Amino acid sequence: MKRVPLSELERIYEALKSYGSVWVRKKNAYETAETPEELLSTVSKVKKPAKFIFLPEEEPLLAFVQDGKNVTFQEVIREAKGVIFGIPPCEAKAISLLDLNFLQGEGEDIYYKKRRENVLLFGLACLAPDSRCFCTTFGYGPFTESFTDIFGVVVDDVLLFEGITEKGKDLVKNLDVEDAKGEELKKLEAMKKEITERVKKLDIQGIQEKLARMMDSEIWDKISSSCLGCGACTYYCPTCYCFDIQDVERPNWGYRLRTWDSCMFTLYTLEGSGHNPRPELKYRWRNRLMHKFNYYPVLYQEFGCVGCGRCIEVCPVNIDIREILMEVKNEPIRA
Amino acid sequence: MNPYAPELYRIKKTVFESDDFTLKSFLLEPIDGNMMDFIPGQFCEISVFGKGEAPFGIASAPHEKEGLLFTVNRVGLVTGALHEMEEGHIVGIRGPLGNGYPVDEFKGKNVVIIGGGFAFTTLRSLTLYLLENRKDYGKITVIYGARRPGLLLYKEDLANWEKRGDIELHLTVDTEFPEWDKHVGFVPQVLEKVAPSPENAYAVVCGPPVMIKFTLPVLAKLGFEKDKVYTSLERRMKCGIGKCGRCNIGPYYVCKDGPVFSLAQLEKLPKEY
Ligand SMILES: Cc1cc2nc3c(=O)[nH]c(=O)nc-3n(C[C@H](O)[C@H](O)[C@H](O)COP(=O)(O)OP(=O)(O)OC[C@H]3O[C@@H](n4cnc5c(N)ncnc54)[C@H](O)[C@@H]3O)c2cc1C
Ligand code: SF4
Ligand code: SF4
Ligand code: FES
Repeated sequence: MKRVPLSELERIYEALKSYGSVWVRKKNAYETAETPEELLSTVSKVKKPAKFIFLPEEEPLLAFVQDGKNVTFQEVIREAKGVIFGIPPCEAKAISLLDLNFLQGEGEDIYYKKRRENVLLFGLACLAPDSRCFCTTFGYGPFTESFTDIFGVVVDDVLLFEGITEKGKDLVKNLDVEDAKGEELKKLEAMKKEITERVKKLDIQGIQEKLARMMDSEIWDKISSSCLGCGACTYYCPTCYCFDIQDVERPNWGYRLRTWDSCMFTLYTLEGSGHNPRPELKYRWRNRLMHKFNYYPVLYQEFGCVGCGRCIEVCPVNIDIREILMEVKNEPIRA
Repeated sequence: MNPYAPELYRIKKTVFESDDFTLKSFLLEPIDGNMMDFIPGQFCEISVFGKGEAPFGIASAPHEKEGLLFTVNRVGLVTGALHEMEEGHIVGIRGPLGNGYPVDEFKGKNVVIIGGGFAFTTLRSLTLYLLENRKDYGKITVIYGARRPGLLLYKEDLANWEKRGDIELHLTVDTEFPEWDKHVGFVPQVLEKVAPSPENAYAVVCGPPVMIKFTLPVLAKLGFEKDKVYTSLERRMKCGIGKCGRCNIGPYYVCKDGPVFSLAQLEKLPKEY
């Protein structure tokens, strides 16, 4: 591990800057830093997750020009290059889950890929998990480095860090920094244990199999009864990615736009005939929970939730996904 | 490769298929001359630039090299704009998408094709494919119905098939019409009357939900096993490649893992279609 005192962060800032944009944590969103001091942000959970950088709320996919019966078009690919500094393990893991959808199999999403492959994740251990965090439920925790390119921990007034991936190691190699001191590493271990234990872990063992048998359960009525269908939970969720594609038309030209969408909306599945395969909120809630706790595991052997607690925080009617998971777990199965 | 970038196709020919002008067919040719290869039952996303994209089953057969055929029911934004288009207009095509009918699994078997209304599109493709590769397949039976004679698609093809000795065609309309000398009644009733044998056979069913609902019990009664009955599902779609999340039924995406499923497969999935 390497070390750099927080008072000398400009020593790594320039190197990060030479890689591209440097995004740092602000209260509401990740924003590009103008000064090395901004790396010092202590925001522990940014409201809008970093997925916005890879999957913007809206982006043009192509632009076209019409001339009588003729049309020509051009692909429009918005690239991004840089480092997200301070991304916590939960969000880094969430990005690894988005990769499963956007980068696996045939038909790689090149819009996502062009940004993903040129943006490094400089993760920082999460030192202040809050009352809504339940990351340890999913087999990782506030000090897990595996989903990042470079991972660091702030110990007192020093940043300790190391390269995790090849790209991360390359960047660290060229930095003018010293090796971490023995007592700092010792302190790090103690912090890791203490802070990780602070997170309240849920016991969701067997939830995937249980859900598979609960398609027709009455629990969905109960869960969805107070839900407004506003979709806030899905917009702020770092693992949700549903999108819509629509054309914007101007006289003789236009563009095709990808925008976020939400499985909590009626229009999401409404068909041309008026038929809707998920006509009521309870079916949409069922789909949301199933997608994260049954379908994702079936497809990728990974849960589609990282336990960040954002959906709990933003829900206007205080629906708590942890309580729902416990209800599912405790619900008797009718024969 | 950008999976969202369409290929440009030019409309070569259009024809109204139904006497009420709600169903219009489009023959499309690639402007770069490269006709795509596909399997009957696959579909494409057609772009009307400025209006958007919508999915349509391919109605032509892979060996029909003069162009891709689509038949479009006018219901909304994209389909409405398509209906306004004529020969020479350019549209975008992404595809072929989806799995298609299991034509290899059908080899050596009898195939019963059951269609209702304008859902006959990909069944036209399938029927022509089976006829083109006639020696690979057993008996071919087609049962196809519409509310009235004027709503039956592809009349030229139907007339050709009637003349051939190697395909059994049963056409039906809901009620009696002057000069209509074929079956009268709903598709499930005609299926019951024709009573194709389930022996060494597969059935493919496409049509409006009510038709499917009443056809499946008849097939079961005739003895068709659930893994020998295939249908093609429709869901609202956007990306067509399993990314946007919209068309899932359980862990499967209709656009990527479907649209063709066997009843045995569907039985294990939530009834979200
Ligand atoms: C695999 C597959 C194959 C298909 N094959 C064929 C085929 O061969 N031929 C064919 O004709 N069709 C086919 N379809 C159906 C076809 O894709 C739809 O009819 C088409 O997408 C409708 O598009 P549209 O833009 O015209 O309608 P839209 O304008 O999108 O919608 C029509 C109606 O949907 C509702 N609606 C949708 N969006 C909204 C909104 N934002 N706000 C309010 N209401 C809304 C309204 O009731 C509206 O009138 C197929 C579908 C699938 C999935
Ligand atoms: S806790 Fe909520 S917001 Fe966070 S990953 Fe899970 S579902 Fe998404
Ligand atoms: S944020 Fe709450 S009210 Fe809104 S859709 Fe999600 S669960 Fe329902
Ligand atoms: S249409 Fe996007 S996932 Fe099927």
